[in-house]
Formats: sequence, C-alpha cells, structure tokens
Amino acid sequence: MSPALNPGAAPLSRRAVGDAVDRVRGTFTFAVDRRIEGTLHAVAVRSVAPHGRITSIDAADALAVPGVVAVIDGSHVAADDGISPWYGENRADQPVLAIGKVRYVGEPVALVIADSRATAEAAAAQVWVDIEELPHVVDPVLAGAPDAPQLHDEWPNNDSGTWTLVHGDAERAMATAAHVHTATYTSPAQNHVPMEPHSATGAWLPDGSLEVWTGTQSPYVVRQRLATMFRLDPDRVRVRGDSLGGAFGSKIDLRLEGLVALASRAVGAPVRMELRRDEVFQSASKHAATVTMTTGVDEDGLLVARIIDIVWNSGAYALQTPRSSRTGMIRSPGPYRIPHVLARSVARYTNTVPTGPFRGAMTGQVCWAHESAADEIAAELGVDPVEWRRRNLLRDGDAFATGDVMHEMHYVDLLTAVDDALTADAPPTSSTRTRTRRRGRGVAAVLKTTRTPTRSEAQVQVDAEGQVAVRTSAVEMGQGAAASLAEMAARRLDMPAEDVSVSWPDTGWTPFDQTTSSSRTTFATGLAVERAASDLRACIAQQVAQPWGITPDQVVHRDGCVSSPGDPAQRMTYADVVRSSGAGELVGTGRYETPPGAGRLDPETSQGNVSVHFHQGVVGVEVEVDTETGRVHVLRAHGATYAGRLIDAERARKQIEGGMLFGLGQAVMEETLYEAGQMINPNLSDYQIPSLLDVPLTSSTVLSDADPDAEPHGIGESTVPPMAPAVANAVHDAVGVRIRDLPVTAEKVLRALREKQADDRKN
Amino acid sequence: MSDTSERITLSVNGISQEVTTAPSRSLLEVLREDLALTGAKEGCGVGVCGACSVLVDGKLMSSCIVPVGMVQGRAVTTVEGLAAEDGTLTPVQTAFMECGGFQCGICTPGQVVAATALLRECPDPAAEEVREWMTGNLCRCTGYYSIVAAVLQAAKAGQGESD
Ligand code: FES
Ligand code: FES
Repeated sequence: MSPALNPGAAPLSRRAVGDAVDRVRGTFTFAVDRRIEGTLHAVAVRSVAPHGRITSIDAADALAVPGVVAVIDGSHVAADDGISPWYGENRADQPVLAIGKVRYVGEPVALVIADSRATAEAAAAQVWVDIEELPHVVDPVLAGAPDAPQLHDEWPNNDSGTWTLVHGDAERAMATAAHVHTATYTSPAQNHVPMEPHSATGAWLPDGSLEVWTGTQSPYVVRQRLATMFRLDPDRVRVRGDSLGGAFGSKIDLRLEGLVALASRAVGAPVRMELRRDEVFQSASKHAATVTMTTGVDEDGLLVARIIDIVWNSGAYALQTPRSSRTGMIRSPGPYRIPHVLARSVARYTNTVPTGPFRGAMTGQVCWAHESAADEIAAELGVDPVEWRRRNLLRDGDAFATGDVMHEMHYVDLLTAVDDALTADAPPTSSTRTRTRRRGRGVAAVLKTTRTPTRSEAQVQVDAEGQVAVRTSAVEMGQGAAASLAEMAARRLDMPAEDVSVSWPDTGWTPFDQTTSSSRTTFATGLAVERAASDLRACIAQQVAQPWGITPDQVVHRDGCVSSPGDPAQRMTYADVVRSSGAGELVGTGRYETPPGAGRLDPETSQGNVSVHFHQGVVGVEVEVDTETGRVHVLRAHGATYAGRLIDAERARKQIEGGMLFGLGQAVMEETLYEAGQMINPNLSDYQIPSLLDVPLTSSTVLSDADPDAEPHGIGESTVPPMAPAVANAVHDAVGVRIRDLPVTAEKVLRALREKQADDRKN
Repeated sequence: MSDTSERITLSVNGISQEVTTAPSRSLLEVLREDLALTGAKEGCGVGVCGACSVLVDGKLMSSCIVPVGMVQGRAVTTVEGLAAEDGTLTPVQTAFMECGGFQCGICTPGQVVAATALLRECPDPAAEEVREWMTGNLCRCTGYYSIVAAVLQAAKAGQGESD
C-alpha cells in the first residue's frame, strides 16, 4: 500500500485572475500536468483485432525489460474476488480490461507497469497477444441483420437501447397531409479532440481506501463506478480533479480511473497513465447515426406529422447509450410545433470505438436531419426557408413532442436576429471571386433538453481573514465555470468576485454534483451556489443583528461589509463578523434539484415532462463554393441563443462563437474512418480539425431575461449542432446540390455537382 | 529501452542541464518527464498542433518531433522561460491575458511561444501574416479570434521596446 497522493484535507482553490497569469506563463497545472511523487507508469497493450477471442497473452519478454514491475491482463482481473470488472451507466457490459474477448481495435487487453512511461511503452510492444479473429461489423444498420456478428451474448441483436416516442397518431395524420417529404441523413463517428489527452493517477492508501487524481468531467460518477468495481463504500473512494484542457464530453464517466486503480492494486504503489493521441481516438467517439425522416405538411406549409427512424452506432459497449439514445430521439422532431410525432430509435453495438456524449450530445445527428429537411420542404413548397421556419417554430404555449407545454420560447426572435445579421452585413469582399465561385446562405435551429432530473450541492464559506471560498464539484474545462460560479456567489454576498475563490472538485471535500456536462453547470451548480451564498449572507446578518438591536433583514450588505442602516458606527467586515462569532468560519449551504417527477417519461410513448427548460440556438452562415474543386469555404457565421438570466456577456459570446467553429469541423471536415474494422486516421494530420485558416467572420446575439430571479440557461452547446445543416443549406442555396451525408467535403460536393450537370443536360 | 542512454547537456531557460537518456527520446518528453517543465504540452505528438512549441537557439520548433540528442549543447527556451524572473510578463503574455486569448488554456503555452517567435522575426506583422504564422497552432476552444487579436496587440505594445 502506498502513501496518500497528497496529504492534507483541503483541496486547492483558485481565483480567475491568478489562474490566467499561470496559464500564459505555462505554470498552470492541468490534469495532465499533475505529478505525484513516487508513481509508476502504466501503458495499455491494445487489441489489434476488431473482434476475436483471446487465446493467449505472453508477457515474459515484457517482464524481462529492466524497469518493468508487472504486467496484468483480464485473466488476473477475472480471478480477483475483490473486483467487479464490468461497468457501464445502464448495463455493466464493458470490462475494465478485455476478458476472454476483444470487441474493437484499441481495446485495452493488458497493462504494463514500469518505472517510466518510456519503459512501459517499449515493453508494451513486447507483450504477445494471440487472438482468434471473429467476423466483425462496423455498420450499425448491418449489425441489426439476423446473421450479423454478435458482440455480447447477453444483449441479443446487438441491441444497445430501443425506444419509441408516440405523440398523437402520426401515421394517420400523415395520410391526410397535403405534401409529404422523406429523406435519410447520415452523420459519421467523430472525435472530440480535446487538446489535452486523458490522464489519471491512482493509489491505494494503507487503510484500504482508494484515491484517484483524474482529468474527469464527472468526479462523483467516477467515484460511484470505482466503488462498485472495487466493492468499496463510496466514502472510501476519493476522486480529485484538476482543470481540464478541453473535454467536450470525452472525459465523462469512467475512462482511465479503473485502469490506474487496478494497476496500483497490483503493484502496491501509485500508478499514472496518460494517453497518446491515437489512444484518445481509440477511447471515445461520437455516435454515428442514420436518421430517416418523413414529414407531412398542410396546404399552408404547416407541419402536421413527422415520423422518424434513427439507428445509432453505439460502438462496442453501451456506456450511456441506452439512456442517451432516447434523449437524442426526443430532440429529433426539432423545435417545431408538430401535432403528431412518431419516433423510433435503436442503438446497435458494432466493433468500433465505444461512444459517449459529444458537445451537444446526441443532438447534432438529429439536427442534421430536421434542419436539412426544413430547407428541402420549404424548397418543395416554394417558400423561403426562414419564413417556413417562422411559421412552424415553437412558441410559448405550444406543445412539444413529449407533451411539454413550452415556455420561454424565443426561436422566432433568434431566427430574426440571425436573418437580420446575414442580410444586413455587407458580404465580405473576396479578391479571388470568379465565375467558378458561388455564394449561398443557410440557417438552422436546434432544441436541446437539459439534464433532467439533476442535482447539485454547494457550500460557500468565509473565514477569519475574510476569504470567501465556493466549494463545488463542478469541473473547469475552459467553459469558464469557475469564474461564473465566483461571480454568482459574489453578487449574492455583495462583494467583488476577485475576492472569491472556487474549489477544484474533490469528492473527499467538495459536495455532490452530478456531472459537468450538458451545459448544466451555470444552471444547476450555479443555483446551488447562489443558494449557499444567500444562506451565508443570512448567517452573517444573524450574527450582527441582535447585538445591533435590529432584525437580520435590516442589515445592509455592501462591498464585503455589513452595517446597520440607522447607525454608521455599526459597520463590520465579513472577517470581523467571523472573528467575533468565535467560529473559525461561517458556512452557507445550498442545493438545487429538479422538481419531483421532472424527467420521468412514459416508457412506451416517451410522453411527460422531459426537461426543466430548453436550450435554444439558431445559426446562419454564408458560404462560398468553388464549383471546380467542390471546396466549401464558410465566410461568416452568426449564432444566436437564449441565455435565460445572463451571467457574463463576454463569456457567453466566446462560447457561442467558439461553438460555431467547433461545429464547423463537424460540418465540413471531421470523420473517423474505418477500414477492415480498424480506424485509419487516429491522428491530427489525417483527422483535421479547424485551424486559423478555416475561421469565418463570426458574430453573435444573446437574448436574455433581465429578471434577477430567472433561471440561467447553459449556452455552451446551442450553436454547435446547427452549424452542419446551416452549411449544407447554404451550399444548396449556392449551387443547388443537396448533401445528406456528413461531413460536407469537397469530393461530395464535386460529385453532386457533376451529377447535377449531367441531369441538367438530360432535361 | 531499445537504444542506449547517453549523457546530453543542454541549456534550458538559461540553466545548464544534464540528462542521461536515449537520444531518440523527444525533447518534449524530456522536458515534461525528466525536467518537470510541464508548460509545453503534447497535443498530437506528430508536429501538427503546436502545443509543444519551444525555441531552440531562438528558432521555433515542435519539441515533440525533436530528438533530445539533437539539442546537445544548444539553448532551449520554453514558455516558462519567457517571463522575467520577478514574474513580469512579456508583452505577448500580457496581451493574451488582456484579450482573453484562451478558454481552457491548454494550447496557450504553444500559442505564446509561437507568437513570441513571430514578433522577434517580424515585430510589426499584418493581420494576414499573424494568421499565416499561427496556423500551426491548433486550438479547440476559442475560435481563434482572440488569439489573433492578442498577437496584434502584443505587436503594438512591443513597438519601441528593445528585446
Ligand atoms: S505535440 Fe508537438 S506539434 Fe503537437
Ligand atoms: S484554449 Fe482550449 S485548446 Fe485553445
């Protein structure tokens, strides 16, 4: 057993300004920079076969490499009574190390533990794994065929989650529609590409408890998974986190934490792991999806019915897919008033990288379908696509496909803001504009539910030095959570935000928070922090009210001081109040939980209250298409979202504009490619993400609610999903070709242009 | 390890260092693992993202693809070596702070080093030159606008300052 990873109870805390200095100096500690004295290093030996039975693992050569301490594999894990190796959110189908069978290329088969990472890497290449290959399948549609290779004996038909949504009677209504449109839209597997790779360090302490430092978005989920895996009381697992260098969904749930805990258990010392970029590609993926959408409208172009069929690629394991595929299905009708909706969703296991949430989780795939369809329908009706949306977008009082009666709907205003921006701005001039370049514009809208039900807890404390600290388990990953939470607490306490520090997550010390994802932090964690700060404020007032002979609500709070309204001599700083109270510190606690019943849906029809509020986004773009090469250049993009109560306009703008560039990658370039069951582009030279040369001019609109008690909405995801359909719609506007398969690459556009020319000649 | 260790001396941020290691190991790994200088990051490991940018004898290099044997006897400057000893930030660092040239900040050390190299070579670049030069530094968060703005502001601030 090993010593504590970091003695002392208190976690580190930070202040936004000090952090910024460290960030530009290169001295800021990200998760991947965390070093703990005396750690060993583990490297995974990974499957090179997409599907097969492990017949032998020979580690003798690796063990002979000087510096190698141990090699462990699935057989050790399976033989250890102290371990439940299978995990997953909804079904425990994934082994921490492959046991008996491999299901995708890149699956961890063994762990080499050595005194340095370099040694472990070199030795990992000398672990000889024999695999008897089985037929594999990478296409989720094929994976549903009766004779398809089966990945999991316990889950027949490769079923990783089947759901339906029934709202009204879509089949009957469709028969009465004046006009029916149907098309299929596909989107590929993509990688989150956080610039920081995953890393974690685990150690077993002398008392038999487990401690893990990790770059995770969900410390409490990791704690629960580790507790289950190692049969511990959750209180005996301490998960500590640092700031992340980006995550976008790839650092949710168990990632490396099970592996480092396993390795540390085997060698009795702390063990660290850090992924190389190809391993990041092999660890998590966006769900590829095929969406077939049939839409009926009446003579006025108003929606009457929509029938949607979705097939998701779950990858080799389920993780969150059985739940999240339903969430994606629920969002698939789009932000429209549709009296009759039928949606059917199935997720299928395939021999590809396991999937997970991806910024705007499970929404990009369905938004790609309903927003491409919107333009196609408008075109068939001869109506302007903006006008068609305006007629059909949800407004207050309309029913959504789950039966939720909508409130705080701002789509029409968002759309108008985007349309105005696109038409008002003078198009940027391009000196190279020629006959072969055509411009077009497109818009797209998205609706996203927020995580419901959900729960967050927070504490805000002030000590005898007047230092105010917010304790939450929210994770900072570039979205500005720490700064927003500091500001929210400071406003409630009437003091400068610079004087408020915010904790890093540490399940041994910071209170419960469900997860930092789904744009829920400013909302759910933020409300908990505000309540904790109000509680602290009341506690401070209580301390002085009686001695001053006034009631607590008469106490005036200003600039970190309290005073009595009638008597200027009665004035104390918060630090004075703590000192005179005799306590070392005063603590306020707060909690936010969605109302009882929220998020509970009918298992058959998915009707119910799906979300406490809805994230709303609209994006508009102008593109230039080179008709000789097919290349699509996005010239400018305007994003609009509704923020509820706005916490910080500048951070909101950055999230919206950064989000559009993130979405641009999905729109025109990003796709993980498989050949013979193997990902062939797991690196940043073959898998390209947007660079400075791809950047369009961007602008944004944030609508907000001035009411200080309004709910803040998350805004980090609302402009990501609509980018791809907005671009495809703009390409259609420019050159008249419709791409229904993401990404919209030059080759696809060129091929479609050639086909169109051939067709035009024929007619 | 496959190849034998050698004793390699180099200067890092003005301090002479000696490491005993395989000369084929990347300079980045030696900085991060052996010298505890974690400012330079590994984003891609293949020379395309710029997160690992350092200066070798004043020239901008991706330390992930520089074998440490190649810098024997040479002077390496990492992001940690840019600010003055008393903590005074360089104009580039100040501009990144003031313009909010980052969100998560993991790419920032590389951006700062690359911008520093640019302004040494070309103290008054046009926006187009900044874009061109900084293309080798990927960022997944910001959308790049604030990065370009920061470099241009640093150029302005650096005018009249001697280096
Ligand atoms: S890590 Fe060196 S260029 Fe990406
Ligand atoms: S700020 Fe996150 S990668 Fe650049």
